[in-house]
Amino acid sequence: MQIANNAFRTQDVAFEQEAIPWIDDVYRFALSLTRDESDADDVVQDTFLRAYRSWHTYMPGSDCRRWLFTICRNVFLRSRERARPTVELDATELDSIAVGSLYSAAVRDGYDDVFTRLDLAPAITAALAKIPEPFRSTLIIVDVEDQSYESAAEVLGVPIGTVRSRLFRGRRLMQEQLLTYASDAGFGPRAAPARAATKCQTFAEETSHQTA
Amino acid sequence: MPDIRRGDVTPDCLNVLLHVWDALDDQLTPAAADMLHEHVAACDKCRKYQRFQAKFLQALATLRSRQCAPRQVRLRVLDSLVTAGYSPP
Repeated sequence: MQIANNAFRTQDVAFEQEAIPWIDDVYRFALSLTRDESDADDVVQDTFLRAYRSWHTYMPGSDCRRWLFTICRNVFLRSRERARPTVELDATELDSIAVGSLYSAAVRDGYDDVFTRLDLAPAITAALAKIPEPFRSTLIIVDVEDQSYESAAEVLGVPIGTVRSRLFRGRRLMQEQLLTYASDAGFGPRAAPARAATKCQTFAEETSHQTA
Repeated sequence: MPDIRRGDVTPDCLNVLLHVWDALDDQLTPAAADMLHEHVAACDKCRKYQRFQAKFLQALATLRSRQCAPRQVRLRVLDSLVTAGYSPP
């Protein structure tokens, strides 16, 4: 009995030291997935509960945050009763070219230094909420949480190439949103962001045939 | 970045356009990274483009430290863990 109690005590100490400190990160990730504070609360609670019950499967000293993110994503998918997306967009070149066109429009309209001159945190938060899945969670993991492509691939259960394509699409969508925000905020001398975005898409579609 | 729509893009500029994020994410092979960096160092437009993309990624990264789990979430997590047998050290 005493041995069993000591084992539980050891587990609790390890859980306290390795898992609990990541609650803010898991919360942010859950919020990015659910886009709803109440749903995020439930996902975080369930994540830590499952993590505690499965603590024997965690390898001490490995990346606990990555392990928790994986559980969190599974909890989220289960909560939505939705299968993992299977259709992938393989169009990173298209996105890269579109982003180049977006940049050209930003230079033309005078807000190419927008990312250094504005406190964009509120705009980034708002823009992130508009990015559809699975691009949003990939952006969160790699660009906000500073995880590697490999970590993101493991958390999301997809190949690294898929992480890259999702990331590039997510970044493109974010730049469109943020440059629109800069325009609406009167940052540039004049702007037509919606038209610019449309132009980019048209241009990208045209160029994709040339670059293929 | 040269205006692609006017067709004044060299192969090296196009390489930057396609792989600037790979470079910033350290996802290129050493040889490919060297080739890209060599061109960026010599091309003013591509240098500005790379700087623009780097600032964009830095702007995204600023979100990280801004949002913490609310107190009630921490309490809910703790309550459910205690119910499951967890005993905070």
